[in-house]
Amino acid sequence: MEDHEILRKFQDPASRNLAFNQLVRKYQQKVYWHVRKMVVDHADADDLTQDVFVKVWKYLGDFRQDAQLFTWIYRIATNECLGFLKSKRRKFFLPLNDVGAELAAKLEADPAVAGDEIELKLQKAILRLPDKQRLVFNLRYYDEMPYEQMAEVTGTSVGALKASYHHAVRKIEEYVTAADVRGYSSDAAN
Amino acid sequence: MKPPFRLDQHPRRWPQPLSAPPAGYFEQLPTRVMAQVAAPACRPLLPSWLRSVSASVRTGLASTLLLGTFAASLWLGVEPVQPLSATSLGDVPRAELLDYLTSEVHLDMTDLAELPTRPLGITNHYLRPSAPELADAFDAQPTDEAALL
Repeated sequence: MEDHEILRKFQDPASRNLAFNQLVRKYQQKVYWHVRKMVVDHADADDLTQDVFVKVWKYLGDFRQDAQLFTWIYRIATNECLGFLKSKRRKFFLPLNDVGAELAAKLEADPAVAGDEIELKLQKAILRLPDKQRLVFNLRYYDEMPYEQMAEVTGTSVGALKASYHHAVRKIEEYVTAADVRGYSSDAAN
Repeated sequence: MKPPFRLDQHPRRWPQPLSAPPAGYFEQLPTRVMAQVAAPACRPLLPSWLRSVSASVRTGLASTLLLGTFAASLWLGVEPVQPLSATSLGDVPRAELLDYLTSEVHLDMTDLAELPTRPLGITNHYLRPSAPELADAFDAQPTDEAALL
């Protein structure tokens, strides 16, 4: 079902539930994975994904079609993720690296990553990025989102996004290289 | 020595680098979401127009309403003192009036006994004697001191 048809049916109380069900089915995986890459843990991602769709339901009636529906949903998901991570730090008085360490520990427990050394280093390097830069990196590297669309999601200029992405790539490469050197040195020492 | 890591040469895990969610998760998620959004189908606490205004405006409205209610209750609570007219007392049956005065005000029948009133003409005449009448009255009084003892 096309977005405009979902929106038209959502306006009609008789077909509202059906239209929203279609919307969830259409976008659930993209929203889930967008959130999951930010919070790593499945349980947190599950809660946040549901919160995102509850907000979509709540505000979809006010949605102005000057933006794409998916861009709008992505923006809600992004704000939920950033708000979640911010409140997590505030709640537990954790500095940046401690939340990063907590996410890294969850990453190490993920069976899809744990067995692949270089992939684990890469994911840890991504987790070391500041939240907003990590978000930019994920949108570009994994979701292959065009910069123009990213600008709509994040409310940041295209130029700033390009700079942020390239800076993120450089930091990731430096971290993984340094981790490789440390690993090589420790291997050599052994 | 290992060469520096290059992201563009690393095989990207696409579309997702992390492990998949539990089996059947995406089949159940729409049902769970629908259960959440369908639950508050009951009537909302605030009307839609009130929900559309900001919290500060709502607070202002609530304060004004509270103040208005207070002022109205004060205004309506002060009853005007109406004069007790003779007409309204005259409408009360005599037996009820008597019962009220003896039971509530605790007056007895002696207090309520009707005193005979003197005719007004006699009083006026009695209290306003003429000069000759006064002179006659004084002359009629005994003048010797023995009569005063």
